[in-house]
Amino acid sequence: MSGRASGLALRLVLCLALVTAVLTACSGDDTDEPVRLRVLASPDLAVLTPLLGELKEATGVDLRLDVRSDAETKAPDRDRYDLAWLSSDRYLRLTAESAVRGLQRTATMTSPVVVGLAPDVARKLRAGVPGGRLTWADIADAAATGTVRFGMADPRHSASGLAALVGVATAAAGTGGTLRPEDVSCDRLRGFRSGQTLTAETGPALVDSYVDHQDRANALITYESDLLALNATDRLDDPLEVVRPEDGMVLADFPLLLLDPSRRAAYDEVTEWLQRDSTQQKIMQRALRRPVSTTVTREQQLREPVGNALYFPDRLTVIEALLADYGDPNRRAADQVVFLLDFSGSMRGDRMTGLREAFADLSGADSTASGKFTRFYRGERLTVLRFGGRVLEEKTVTVTGPKDLKTLADTVARGGYGDATAVWSALDHGYRTAARELAAEPDRSVSLVLMTDGENNAGLTYEEFVRHHKALPAAVRTGVPTYPVHFGEADAGELRRAAAQTGGRMVDAAHSSLSKAFKEIRGCH
Amino acid sequence: MPANRPARPATEEPRLTVSRPPRRRLRRALALALPVPVIGLVLLVAGGNLLLPLRQVVTIEAKMASKRDFFQDPEVERLLMKHGFRVHITSMGSREIANQDFEGYDVVFPSGQPAADLISRERAEANRPALLYRPFVSPIVLATYRNYAEALSDHGVAKPQQVPGGRPMYYTLDMTAFVKLTREGRRWNDIGIERQGVHNSNKILAQTSDICESNSAGTYLGLVAFVENKNDAPNDETEAAAVAQEIKPLLVEQGLPGSERAETYLSPDGQSIAPISVIYEHQFLSHQIRHQAQKGGTDDERVLLYPSTRFVTEPQLVALTGDGARLGELVSEDPELQHRAMELGFRARNTNSGTSGNTAGDELIEFLTERHIPVPTTSANDTRAVLPPLPLLEQMIKTVGDCPERKGDVK
Repeated sequence: MSGRASGLALRLVLCLALVTAVLTACSGDDTDEPVRLRVLASPDLAVLTPLLGELKEATGVDLRLDVRSDAETKAPDRDRYDLAWLSSDRYLRLTAESAVRGLQRTATMTSPVVVGLAPDVARKLRAGVPGGRLTWADIADAAATGTVRFGMADPRHSASGLAALVGVATAAAGTGGTLRPEDVSCDRLRGFRSGQTLTAETGPALVDSYVDHQDRANALITYESDLLALNATDRLDDPLEVVRPEDGMVLADFPLLLLDPSRRAAYDEVTEWLQRDSTQQKIMQRALRRPVSTTVTREQQLREPVGNALYFPDRLTVIEALLADYGDPNRRAADQVVFLLDFSGSMRGDRMTGLREAFADLSGADSTASGKFTRFYRGERLTVLRFGGRVLEEKTVTVTGPKDLKTLADTVARGGYGDATAVWSALDHGYRTAARELAAEPDRSVSLVLMTDGENNAGLTYEEFVRHHKALPAAVRTGVPTYPVHFGEADAGELRRAAAQTGGRMVDAAHSSLSKAFKEIRGCH
Repeated sequence: MPANRPARPATEEPRLTVSRPPRRRLRRALALALPVPVIGLVLLVAGGNLLLPLRQVVTIEAKMASKRDFFQDPEVERLLMKHGFRVHITSMGSREIANQDFEGYDVVFPSGQPAADLISRERAEANRPALLYRPFVSPIVLATYRNYAEALSDHGVAKPQQVPGGRPMYYTLDMTAFVKLTREGRRWNDIGIERQGVHNSNKILAQTSDICESNSAGTYLGLVAFVENKNDAPNDETEAAAVAQEIKPLLVEQGLPGSERAETYLSPDGQSIAPISVIYEHQFLSHQIRHQAQKGGTDDERVLLYPSTRFVTEPQLVALTGDGARLGELVSEDPELQHRAMELGFRARNTNSGTSGNTAGDELIEFLTERHIPVPTTSANDTRAVLPPLPLLEQMIKTVGDCPERKGDVK
């Protein structure tokens, strides 16, 4: 109360002082003082700076944009800023709920996060898809093979990067609903991510980076407006083709938030001006974003249907899991999977056919969306270890192209069956391989897949394996999970215990196929 | 909560007396306006422009949600000005209005009874009773697009209300069957939306604004609860808790709620952003009335789904000051304002008649017919939903929306 009263007194004194000093400054109607507002702005808004002069002329409100690269991910400092103008406030609504709840909020324009593809890549991808309608799964598939090399802003710092990540993760989960914690318990974006060759902290910086490194990337995932604006310049060798993924997009609505309620009158003036058709028209022409006004005639390229909006997760744990899995785009360590495959006699026939099909599917033969997200990808390191009563063969490749995948297929296709089943000796061997690989590259993420169709009848007992496992270096013991695939006559109880012991999870292939079981595991390591 | 003045009966306030002593609630307006007469006098010498700054108009400080559509209408603004009112609106969701402080406001106008009840209960507890006005009503509806309505119709979930010589603008939605689609996780592609030339692999659901903040979302929750509870509102805490858990997955599937629903619905990209939005009937009708007036025909792509289980929302203007009460009385009683409300798609109701007869509904029908806009029909067979008692509804909203505690909850 007293604060308000003294505020009033202060304002009176100030205004009276102004009256005596400059008579004309205070004339006019209600908002007579020139008002200056401090605005925390995301870099995506800098493009509108030239319009602010007109705003000042029309309303007397002077917006001072302070463009900060962390504006969209750090709770706004309400002592320093009167307003915040972001491309999206979704991240803050989840991470800083108390700081942004209940604020006056006005959407000022919209733009979806889409994919820009170099013309030759777009042509190639469209040719492989019925109707030429590309999905996020097709982009992920092409990223895994190295066909698409894309730039995307760092989702930890930029709303456009986060929107892209949510979009592709929602498509990967494939539920048609919003992402739930169980949908992100497995990281299905490894293949997609392997195609990322460029990143930046902000949208505009990403665009600049792409222009400078057109030899390193042929795709750009960002706001439609950024792609259209870039195409309108002569900075590109070839204009990018705008692809709106069929399975959906995330839309940004560039909200203007009122952080300091006492600046309400000026805020109202600003939002009224921003929503005028004449202003919306200028925003559209300058930034190539879609007007929020329904009466502005849109430019031809903004009349394309925007694509179905995906439901955006409302749980922070989901976003945190996505960001943690996605990690630092600048530091990518290759992942490694060691497949321990039972080649005892009982695997002959249909079971072996199923195993070979599973490997073919993971090598790109599976054309379903989930298959495209979980396939082997460029840079991934893969070990196939065949075992019977002992280790029959061990082969490791780093995927650089089809020839490496063929090497793997050949290894799996080779006959030579063992006459016994030494499950725990094989797993023990697998851990020694993992330990060696981790020692060579400590950042690498390594996991084991243990596929067996029978009970252990040779080599180490389960208890002996556990003793060996407990003696492993901590990084191997706690960081390398085993995913057993239960199949045929294998002992489900023991396999489940081994999974629990190593931090993995057993997957049952008894009632589905090995191919499905492998897909389920992929990304969970 | 800081002290506030008790609401005074309207009669105590003289109309627009120039000499009226400044009141605390107008502090903010005064801070801006007080220097003006001073300047005005100074300028009189310089420019002779005295009249404008001295004109007496009461500025009403108001908080409201979707019903700002009414107060921001230029014709309503003109009529109010004629009676000496200017309304300055702070907009936010209805439940959010109830959650925040009312200090400095003359009226708050939540879009439905629950939020108004929260407010009047709180005022009564603080011994500062507020006056309530109900100038008009509007049913809760599910707004969609023709493709989607047709897909639901083909699937047997919606039934067009036939109009002679035209495509239907209204459909009756079988709420039980619709909720079942959501519960089963069915997607638009699953029910043949592709036959309508649209591809959409998203789950079928009606999108609402933030359930913690808005009346329409809370009302929709009540509607779904009623349907899922076998056409009965939960009667006690145990039942409410059980039903809330039961319907929570249906209502949170949309994830982070988008911004203002009606705006999104009417935007050119609306169909892509949300195929079905929970809004009020007046928002749809006013769009069609405007469309008809401006383009000589109705918007054929936007259609309404009337839930087979109906609920009519009653926005309540809560007067916190004498000026507020005069405004409330004016919009409820003034024939011109009441007529304008109807032109904006509201079903007006006359609070004067103790019987509260539904003649205003007939007026709306007449008005729409005159303008060649199809008239929605209410079937006598439709069920009328009942919302649970306020404390139970509040409990359910909090459970479903994981809403933060209200200011009044922690004492």
